[in-house]
Amino acid sequence: MTILKNWVLAVVNLFHSVKSENLQWQQDNQGSQTQLKHAQVMAEKTLEAALKKKSVQLEHDIALLKTRHDAELSMFKTKCKQDVKDYKQYLDSLDQLKRSIQTSYTHLPEAVAFTIHHHAKHLLNQMWEAEDFAAKMHYEMQLIKFMTTVHEDARLHLEGAVNENLPERTLGLIQHQ
Amino acid sequence: MLLLAELLSWLAVPALPDALSQLGLAMLLSAFVVLLCVGLAGALKMIGCTVADYFSSSQRTRRRLLFAQARQDQVKRLFYFRTVQLKYFNALKRTRLLKANNRKHIHLLSNAINQQLMSLKPSLAAETFKELQQQNARCRRQQNVEALLQLQKQITTMADKS
Repeated sequence: MTILKNWVLAVVNLFHSVKSENLQWQQDNQGSQTQLKHAQVMAEKTLEAALKKKSVQLEHDIALLKTRHDAELSMFKTKCKQDVKDYKQYLDSLDQLKRSIQTSYTHLPEAVAFTIHHHAKHLLNQMWEAEDFAAKMHYEMQLIKFMTTVHEDARLHLEGAVNENLPERTLGLIQHQ
Repeated sequence: MLLLAELLSWLAVPALPDALSQLGLAMLLSAFVVLLCVGLAGALKMIGCTVADYFSSSQRTRRRLLFAQARQDQVKRLFYFRTVQLKYFNALKRTRLLKANNRKHIHLLSNAINQQLMSLKPSLAAETFKELQQQNARCRRQQNVEALLQLQKQITTMADKS
């Protein structure tokens, strides 16, 4: 019984000594612990402030981006509308070109007038669908040259400068191109 | 404790083994209850810490930042798709204009072919005339430019022969 009592007392003593050592260690390192905790809190606060600042900056950027996109879209929409309008005007002027050649050459077969008009439309589409600027310019020059030739043929025939039944230079240009 | 009870039972000490068995069982059950309580308390503490961390100021700020980044990406994507949509509708409008123009001129050519056919009607067999007229209508319906031009050429050759 005494042995058991001694053993229990030894265990209690050990427990107390461990507790007192722990208390002593905490007393010794209280300053460091407080400092560490403080540094940790400060770091968290700094990080939070930085994140908040970044978030506000991002919101501002988004607002700017939206405004810029709206302006760009509005410009692009206007450009598209103008593009369609220009294309329609080109088609109208090609119709006018056909009427002009038919007025000058009164006995011109509809198939020939159609071929001339069709070729002009083909050049117009090539010009419109060209991706790079150089190709676009090339097709535009071809179209202008073609239209000029047609008008020139019509004018010469009206003035009676040529006695051909067909606009030979225009047809030659179609074959050449 | 149970081993001790076994030993006392083997030594034939009356009454003591029973008491020790009861004590052992009670201690075992108590240990289980304490273990369960500690586990439960640990789990509750962990859940509490996680919930507190989720709703903490830093985590909320972090989530807000992520949300803003996602919105920025969404705005960029929206702009790209709107541009693509505008391009598509622009191309569609242009194609419609072109198709309408093509239809108009094909109709004119077909009418001219028809007139030419009518002028040739007396010199053509009824079947040939009907066939050519049907061919003309079919080509116009199919918007087949090449076939119409070919037909016109064929009719002109016929007119020259007659």
